[in-house]
Amino acid sequence: MSTTRSSRPYYVPIGSEEHVFKAAFRQGMSVVLKGPTGCGKTRFVEAMAYDLDRPLITVACHDDLTTADLVGRFLLRGGETEWVDGPLTRAVREGAICYLDEVVEARQDTTVVLHPLADHRRQLPIERLGLTLDAAPGFCLVVSYNPGYQSVLKDLKDSTRQRMVAIEFGFPPAEVEEKIVAYETGIDQNRAAELVRLGQAIRRLETARLREVASTRVLIATGRLIAEGLSPREAARAAVAGPLTDDPTVTSGLVEMINVYLAEQPT
Amino acid sequence: MRSDEATSDGLGRLSLLASALSGRALQVAPGEPGEPAWTDGTLVFVDAATSARDRLEALAVQASLLAAGSLEPEVVRRLTRRPASVKRYLAIEGHRALAANEHLLPLRVRSLIDWNVAARSDAPAASLAASLSLEVIAEPPENFGTIRARHLLASNDPGGNSAAKREHDVRQQPNRVLAELDEDESSAGGSVGSLFSSPVGGGGALGRLLRRMLEAVRQLNGGGPPGADAPTHWTRRGTRGSYAAFSTGLAGTLEEAALEGRGRKYPEWDAHRQRYRWDWCTVREVEPSSKSCTPLMVSDAFGLRRSLARLGTGLDSCHRQVQGDDIDIDAAVEARVDVKAGSAPDDAVYLDSLRRRRDLAVLLLLDISGSVAESAATGQTVHEHQRAAATALTVALHDLGDRVALYAFHSQGRSAVHLVPVKRFDDDLDLLVMRRLHGLVPGAYSRLGAAIRHGAAILEEQGGTSRRLLVVLSDGLAYDHGYEPMYGAADARRALVEARRHGIGCLCLGIGASTDAEVLRRVFGSAAHAAIPRPEQLRQVIGPLFRSALRSAEVRRR
Repeated sequence: MSTTRSSRPYYVPIGSEEHVFKAAFRQGMSVVLKGPTGCGKTRFVEAMAYDLDRPLITVACHDDLTTADLVGRFLLRGGETEWVDGPLTRAVREGAICYLDEVVEARQDTTVVLHPLADHRRQLPIERLGLTLDAAPGFCLVVSYNPGYQSVLKDLKDSTRQRMVAIEFGFPPAEVEEKIVAYETGIDQNRAAELVRLGQAIRRLETARLREVASTRVLIATGRLIAEGLSPREAARAAVAGPLTDDPTVTSGLVEMINVYLAEQPT
Repeated sequence: MRSDEATSDGLGRLSLLASALSGRALQVAPGEPGEPAWTDGTLVFVDAATSARDRLEALAVQASLLAAGSLEPEVVRRLTRRPASVKRYLAIEGHRALAANEHLLPLRVRSLIDWNVAARSDAPAASLAASLSLEVIAEPPENFGTIRARHLLASNDPGGNSAAKREHDVRQQPNRVLAELDEDESSAGGSVGSLFSSPVGGGGALGRLLRRMLEAVRQLNGGGPPGADAPTHWTRRGTRGSYAAFSTGLAGTLEEAALEGRGRKYPEWDAHRQRYRWDWCTVREVEPSSKSCTPLMVSDAFGLRRSLARLGTGLDSCHRQVQGDDIDIDAAVEARVDVKAGSAPDDAVYLDSLRRRRDLAVLLLLDISGSVAESAATGQTVHEHQRAAATALTVALHDLGDRVALYAFHSQGRSAVHLVPVKRFDDDLDLLVMRRLHGLVPGAYSRLGAAIRHGAAILEEQGGTSRRLLVVLSDGLAYDHGYEPMYGAADARRALVEARRHGIGCLCLGIGASTDAEVLRRVFGSAAHAAIPRPEQLRQVIGPLFRSALRSAEVRRR
C-alpha cells in the first residue's frame, strides 16, 4: 500500500504517457487507462505514484462492488456504531492516488459516486455521514479498463468518460518488450527475444480463437519459470498455453507454436 | 522428429501457427505425397511425409506469402497467363514475403531468407515485374512449394460454398500445378477447358458464369476490390447474391400453413418514405413438426449458468443479515437490549441487498431462414451453431427458474411471416421441445422486423415479469420479398427500438456466421449484439450482453 521509497517500479515509457499523466495529476484531473490485460497499466500507475511521491491505493473492481465498499460503512463495535472509511474515502483524505482497476466491472450505481470526484469539484459526498469531503491535494483518481469486445463493453458511461483524461496502452514494441522481459525475469536477451517473438505471433491470432492474447505479463511469467530452471517449452506450456485457453484443439495448436518458437533446452 | 506428427492430426495442430504467420484464419491439411506445398488462401497443403523442419519451412513460406499480399488476385491473375514465370516469381517474392514477416518468424526459419534476393523487390508487383523480365533468377528452394493460381482465384471467388469448393478442389485436381496449365485454357474468357468439374467449385464453365453473375452483385453491394478481404467475407457476399438458391427448403410447407389460421398483423417501417406501413406483415404461428430423435439435453452445456445466475434477479433488501452494507437499526437495538438483559445477542444486525428473486422472462428468436444453412468456418452449419446456443441458453435459463420461450422464424413475403413455437412460456422444457428444435429445417427468408415485433408482443403479453429480454439468434441477413437488406436493416433496427421503448431489453447474437461487424451494426443498431465464431464462446459474451440489454431496458422502465 504505502510504498517505501526503495526503488522505482520498472516501467519503460513507450510514448508520452508519463508526461500526460503527470500533467493531468498536476492539474487535478482524473485519468482513464485503456488497454488489454497484462500490458503494464498497473505497473505504470505504480511508477507514477513513485515519481509523484504519493501513496497508491488500488481497488480491483467486480460486479458486486457497492458504493459502501468504496466509500465506507458503519460497523458495530462493542455496542457502538463506528464508521470505517473505504479505500476511496481514505485516498481522498490522505491525498493518495486511487486506482480502480477494471472499473467497468463495477455496477453502474457504484461508479456514480465517482462523478463529483472526477470533475472540477473534486468532492466526495458521504451520504451516511452527512459529509462532503474535499479531496486533499495530491489526490488523483485513476481508473482502467479493457476495451475488449467492441460492441459489448462500450460500457463506461459517457458522462463518466468525459470527466477524464484518457491514456491508451498497447503491447510494447518488440525491442522494448524484450528489454522488459529480460529485466523482469533475469533471463538472457536471446531467450527473451524468442519469447517475445512467440508472444507477437500469438497476438496475431487475437480475434480468431483466443479470448485474450499472450500479454507481456504472460511472457514474464514464462521467463520467471525459465529462470527457475524449467525448459522454455515446459515453462511456456504452463504459463502461456494453459492460461490462454481451455479448448484442447487450441491448446495443441499453441503447444505446436511453442515448440516451433522456443528451443528445447536452456542454452 | 516425432512420428505421430506425420498424421493429419499433427498437421491440423499447425493451423494456429499458420494463422498467426498469415494473419488470417488458415488451416493446414496434408497434401499429396511428394507434391510441393501450396495454398488456396484458406488451406495450406503440405506433404505430411516430409520432416518437421521441411514442413515448418514450407508452411512459413506459404503463410508469409499470404500475409505479404503476394497472392492477391490481381497478381495471381497475371500469373495464370504466364505459368512459366511462377517459379521465378516465387523465388523473389518468397524471400520478400519472408523478410516482410521476419519479426514473426521462428528463429529457425529465419535462416531461410536470402536477404540479397529479398532486397530486389519491395512489393508483389515489383517481384512480378522482375519475374517477367529477363533477369537471372535462381530457382527457389524446394521448400518454397508452389503457387496454384487457379485454386487461389477460385477460393477468392465470391460465389459458392467454400467447404464444398474446397472438397471439390482436392478431389478433382490434386496434381495440377500451375506450370502445367495451357495458356488458352486458363484465359479468362469462355473456356471449355474444365467443363467436367462441378459448378460449385467455380472451376468449370458454369462456375465461371456463376462467378461473373455474382461479381455484379458484389459490386452493387459496394465491396472493395476483389480479394481485398479475407475469403470469409466473400462467402457472405456470395450468400447475399445467391438467395435464390436457398428458397427451396420450406416453400411448400409455408404455403400450406399460410392457408390455415388468420395470423396477426404488424406494421413495417418504410425506410424510403420514413413512415410506417400499417398492418403490412402477417405473422402466423405455425405448429412445429418434431423429429423423432433423442437429442441430448445437456444441462449447463457451455457453462452459461454461472454468468446468467447473477442477472435478471431483483435486488431484495434483506433485514437481519450477518453482514451487509448498513446497520439494521431495529435489530441493533434489540441486540443491545439483549446484552443489557444479560442474554446472548443475535449478531445478525445488518441490512443487505441480495439478489434473490428471479425476475426475468426471456424469449429467444431463432432465425431459420435459408441463409443459416450455410456452413460456418468450423464445418457445422450456422443453424447448428445457433441451435446449440439456443438449447444451451434455454436450458440454462430454465434451470435458473426464469421464464423462457423459444420461437423460430422465417418468412416468405410479407403475408407469410412464420413463427414456430418450439417452446412457449408455459410449456415444460422436455424432450418434445428438443425434438421440435431438432426438427427445424432452415429455409426461405427472414423478415426480421416482423419477427421481432411478434416476439416483443408475446413477451409483453405472456412474459409476466418486470424484466423482459428478447434474444435474437440470427446471422443478421434480413432479406425477404420486398425487404432488401438496407430496407430490412432499417426495419429491424426500428423494431428493436420499439421493443426497448416497451421496456424489453434486446440482444442479438450471431454464431458462426461470417456476417461482418458493420452489417451487424446496421441491422442491430444500438441493441447489444455480438458475433462469435462458436457457441462454446457464448459464456464469455453472454454476461456483458445480458447486462447491457437489461440495463437499456431498465432506463426505459424508470
